[in-house]
Amino acid sequence: MTAPRYCPACLSGLTSASSTLLRSTTTRTTTIPSAITHQIRTATQSQNALKYRRKDIPASQKKKKSRSTFLQPDLKNAIQFSLVDAMRYIRASEVGRPPTSSKYELHLRLRTAKNGAVVRNRLRLPHPVKTDLRICVIAPPDSAQAKAAIASGAVLVGEESVFTAVKEGRVEFDRCLCHTDSLVALQKANLGRVLGPRGLMPSVKTNTVVRDVGSAVREMAGASEYRERFGVVRMAIGQLGMGAEELQRNIRAFVDSVKRDMAGLSDQTAKDLHEVVLSSTNGPGLSLDGRFASEDGLGSKELGVA
Amino acid sequence: MVSLPQRMRKLQTKLLAIRLGSGALVLPKDVKRIHMRFAQKIDGGHMGPRKFWRHELVRLKYHNPAVSMTIDRTASADDPALMSVHFAPADAPQTSEDSATSAPTPVTSTTQDSSPSSDTAAPTDRVQTIDMKHRTNSEILTELQRLTKAFPVEPTPEEREEIQMLEDHRVRSARDSKLSQEVRARQKREKELLEQARGDVASQAA
Repeated sequence: MTAPRYCPACLSGLTSASSTLLRSTTTRTTTIPSAITHQIRTATQSQNALKYRRKDIPASQKKKKSRSTFLQPDLKNAIQFSLVDAMRYIRASEVGRPPTSSKYELHLRLRTAKNGAVVRNRLRLPHPVKTDLRICVIAPPDSAQAKAAIASGAVLVGEESVFTAVKEGRVEFDRCLCHTDSLVALQKANLGRVLGPRGLMPSVKTNTVVRDVGSAVREMAGASEYRERFGVVRMAIGQLGMGAEELQRNIRAFVDSVKRDMAGLSDQTAKDLHEVVLSSTNGPGLSLDGRFASEDGLGSKELGVA
Repeated sequence: MVSLPQRMRKLQTKLLAIRLGSGALVLPKDVKRIHMRFAQKIDGGHMGPRKFWRHELVRLKYHNPAVSMTIDRTASADDPALMSVHFAPADAPQTSEDSATSAPTPVTSTTQDSSPSSDTAAPTDRVQTIDMKHRTNSEILTELQRLTKAFPVEPTPEEREEIQMLEDHRVRSARDSKLSQEVRARQKREKELLEQARGDVASQAA
């Protein structure tokens, strides 16, 4: 065996740093400078260490067992805020933004398994965030149902006219409802490819196939949807101009609704509320501690308007 | 997901930046509203106002949550960049103003006309303007401080301690990062050399 190709200068630098990787090669080379003849004591050479070294674990066991629930850290050391304090910080960081574009957001972290059923529902907040939803209703035109839908604020009502418009790519609505009797026509029209990716396809599972279209539109106009993604339920909870009391009512309604949903799913998967985080479009995310105002902080009066 | 202490340190740094720094002023009670009007782009001396908004106005808002602060960026680059400070009239009760600003209307003119809130009580607000064009954010701040006689907020002992703690951590973390970078570079080099040596042996054995 001849000496390998690397230069001795590199080696001297490496061996003096008590390399463990290169030991096998350094012992083979005969050109070690005298400067590094000191004793190298490392774990692999000592008899004791060899004795206590872990036996090779079979490859099947080596793989770390993956976690089946989302990791939720202990909130003991977390900094948490009362609602008014959090709002003060958020308003400061949203200062000067157009008041219609900034929203408060609420994030609910859940203690839940990674697989299984997820929380998903619609909710009408006491103080709606967004009111200019464009709703499309698929129902036979000129029917009583269609008239009711228009009366309660639907933008687009019809069957064939809607289908052709959607097929041409004109999707000029944000929500889509379907009357129960029109479901067959809808499925024949083959719109799943267009509406599906946008989440607009009506289906029984999402409660968008209804019998009473009129009241459903009214219900939906001020309502917003939420669903659990990666163990977190997020939703816009208020406009930035809202007062602390209004926001508190909205938060309470949302949390109660999610808790009800979780109770409904309890026979399938156990879920539990872990953390409530208030954030905004441009602001920091602040964990709430459930109080309305802290003792030394501001009251809701001093908070004023945004 | 980062660890909780790491997350909290980052949050603390962020919140400290909102609480303390330039622009952390407490305005006197009679200041009711601050309105800024400047251009969307920084050309023509509109950079200072924007910097002021991004840095100083955030802290000003934190320490004066009841003062309405609005920004109108529809001006063109040739227009003046103005900040108007609305004072409550000296003799009026200090309650009637807030309702006027709850829905911030797009105030078109911010010069001396002082009629944006027509529903306030009979004595109209006293409005003073600051010309912000071609001025830096610090110049605007000193001008505002002079105009309103606001007094700055000093960090409390706890906040000082917190700042010191975070600063210490930053220094320590920079040092550790450098150290481990060196170690990783060395390990990589060793590995490469070893690979090279192995390759040589294999090629000669073959």
